[in-house]
Amino acid sequence: MNPLVSDAFVDFLVADVLDVEGLCRLPKFEGHGKETIGPWFAACRRVAREVLAPGYRAIDAEPPRLVDGRVRVHPKMHDAWRELVGLDVIAAVHQLPLTVTTLSSAYLMAGNLSAYGLAGLTAGAAHLIEAFGSGAVRELFLSQLRSGEWAGTMALTEPQAGSSLADVTTRARPVAEGTFLINGAKIFISGGDQDLTQNVVHLVLARIEGSPAGTKGISLFAVPRRRPEGDGLVDNDVHVSGVIHKIGWRGLPSLALSFGDEGDCHGWLVGMPNQGLRCMFQMMNEARIMVGVNAAATASVAFHESVAYAKDRKQGRALGNADASSEQVPLTAHADVRRMLLRQKAIVEGSLALLGLTARFADLSVHAADEAERTRAKWLLDLLTPIAKTFPAEKGFESNALALQVHGGYGYSSEYLPEAWLRDQKLNTIHEGTTSIQGLDLLGRKVVAGGGAALLALVDEMEPDLAKSALDVSVLRAAVGQVSEVTAALGARGAEGDVEGMLGHSADFMEAMSVVVVGWVWTKLSNAVAGRDDDFSKGLRTAAQYWLVTEVPRVDALLKLCVSEDRSYLDLQPAWL
Amino acid sequence: MPLKILVTAKRVEDYESKIKVNPQGTGIVAEGLKYKINPFDEIGVEEALRLVAKHGGEVVVVSVGTKDVHEQLRHALAMGATRAVWVNHTGPMDQLGVAACLQKIVEKEKPDLCILGKQAIDDEQSQVGSYLSEWLGWSQATFASKEESLESDAEKSKTPAIKLAADGKSITVVREVDGGLQTIESPLPCVATTELRLNQPRYASLPGIMKAKSKPIEEHTPAALGVDMTPKLTVTRMAHPPARKAGIKVPDVAALVEKLKTEAKAI
Repeated sequence: MNPLVSDAFVDFLVADVLDVEGLCRLPKFEGHGKETIGPWFAACRRVAREVLAPGYRAIDAEPPRLVDGRVRVHPKMHDAWRELVGLDVIAAVHQLPLTVTTLSSAYLMAGNLSAYGLAGLTAGAAHLIEAFGSGAVRELFLSQLRSGEWAGTMALTEPQAGSSLADVTTRARPVAEGTFLINGAKIFISGGDQDLTQNVVHLVLARIEGSPAGTKGISLFAVPRRRPEGDGLVDNDVHVSGVIHKIGWRGLPSLALSFGDEGDCHGWLVGMPNQGLRCMFQMMNEARIMVGVNAAATASVAFHESVAYAKDRKQGRALGNADASSEQVPLTAHADVRRMLLRQKAIVEGSLALLGLTARFADLSVHAADEAERTRAKWLLDLLTPIAKTFPAEKGFESNALALQVHGGYGYSSEYLPEAWLRDQKLNTIHEGTTSIQGLDLLGRKVVAGGGAALLALVDEMEPDLAKSALDVSVLRAAVGQVSEVTAALGARGAEGDVEGMLGHSADFMEAMSVVVVGWVWTKLSNAVAGRDDDFSKGLRTAAQYWLVTEVPRVDALLKLCVSEDRSYLDLQPAWL
Repeated sequence: MPLKILVTAKRVEDYESKIKVNPQGTGIVAEGLKYKINPFDEIGVEEALRLVAKHGGEVVVVSVGTKDVHEQLRHALAMGATRAVWVNHTGPMDQLGVAACLQKIVEKEKPDLCILGKQAIDDEQSQVGSYLSEWLGWSQATFASKEESLESDAEKSKTPAIKLAADGKSITVVREVDGGLQTIESPLPCVATTELRLNQPRYASLPGIMKAKSKPIEEHTPAALGVDMTPKLTVTRMAHPPARKAGIKVPDVAALVEKLKTEAKAI
């Protein structure tokens, strides 16, 4: 049976890398420790393997349907949702360290990303209402979201604006204290309607009449599909105007929605007027980490499938053996197949560890006892978030393609699952901020934040691990220095007003930073098995070595591009294409 | 009428672990193994929880072994069992010793019903339930199953398959027997053992896991219970099944028939 995610690796992260016991000593997580976290992982693993994964293929094959204006999801989504709610996954996100739920959710997403995706969105919506909602708004929505009785969405994107939130046009007209009439259209709303829960609460970005243009005039509203009135729920004039047919994540409905067609759509303001985007960023950042986990999980399940296949499937003979009467060898006997497996391992486990570390900074940024430690953790969290979203999504797609490749002709057959996971993975470079947007965020905001304090904190974080390493980390150390230099040079361009000169190669910068950060992660992992000689440790050391030797040297070329005079696509005219 | 139900939680090797026989052939290699609650026992816990949800009462879970069995007891407590009893024993034991400990615990606890796995997936002896009923002088309802499938609405609504009579004095159990099902009625108290198809056990939830931390585990020892744990059975040899040998090609049908007659002695 496909384990979805390696238990040995996750247990190792929890015990030897992420110091989860230490996190459990923080006042917020009092009462947690081995005796709750062990059983929690055990329960998530079983639900993922026994309920979620067996339903995956059917759910992928039969996406949701629009029937009489309502969306119907696959019956197996109902089974999955029932078990996820039974585990209490939504409330768990607020009770356990994020470091723990990040890793436990990897199993659930590897088993069935669509079902867990809805739970993750609901947890994010609940957290947003908890953080910014007034007492009345919390009273109306919070407990139902926490219990999974209702689900939540984020409704940002509009057909005419796409990723450009400055151009959002949905309107909000005040009708009473804190409540507004909402009117507008949204698109690509994941979980925008379904028949799993009795209600859906959309967190909608809209403009209050008279607000300034651009992102400064955007406010956040909780807009339920059915609004509480009297003792019950009444229709709130939210309609499904279309179902998007998708390449992947096919179990989770992605919808076009219209709000207030009949002038009767009520929304409750969350946070202060015109502060909507700032509030929404909390949920977006959580969702970005969730997408990263999904990407790692989707690559992981395919990785384990391809490892099992390559060990079992016999084909051909070792190089140099021309004796056709000799027995065929397993695929793993071929060097290039081992390359494809090792590369997947480096990407999958590097991603999972990166997400675990990022989640740990998220925990410390809120719950660490010391204020200076919280501030430092927040810098690191903000800096790592675009990388933790983009690296698993971009390299995960490559990893999923390798898993498919290992399966040969069966890989492109829909009888086998790798092609479905490859399709799922493609969404992750797009939703919750495309790779382009993450690159601009990383270079334009995050590495230069606090006058470079965030980047300095990251370098400080890396140095002790590099110093301890038994591997040759000289190229990585040089790359870390080069990142600082290039960041300073590009920051100076930005300060002089040369925004294009600063950000023109943001995609290359993102890739270089990702390779460096994951190089540090692999160094850290190999340090944690120093002196051990079992198969598990050998596997980690080999993957670390592979990353340092094959990937890290590319950083030099990528960073040179960032400060080069290369203007190939900067000067490109569309007419030349 | 509230029921008091006693269930068991044997610690067994996880069926997904790779089991290897040690080079001496005296047992299995313990290194790297994972452990879990015997799946048949877990089905027993689930059935007891369903019965108590319907009729009221409490579920007491028992295990025999080192402190490691707390993991399995906590699992049953996280599923919803009320409290736990631990018989602290280090060293070898066999089904007679375990059944004797359970007998003593039953005599103290006086439950209306015991639900045990029909067997444990490690040594597959399938004996403890029957010894226990014999020594208690209670009737037994082994291999409890049900007519409805595990996909049915009755299963989804977590309806108990073991039915309690209106007067609370007997239960009706559908047993799995060769080629079909047999329905029996048994007076209480009684010992029931579970089949795989009795139910689909629930998963421990986070609130369940948190509650389990503060539920009591009462400790006993075989000596204090007056039980001699010296095994009456000894394992003389353990071995993997022989590996399958490669086949051969025969030149014609006559050769095949010849081999079937002389070598395989199949015809």
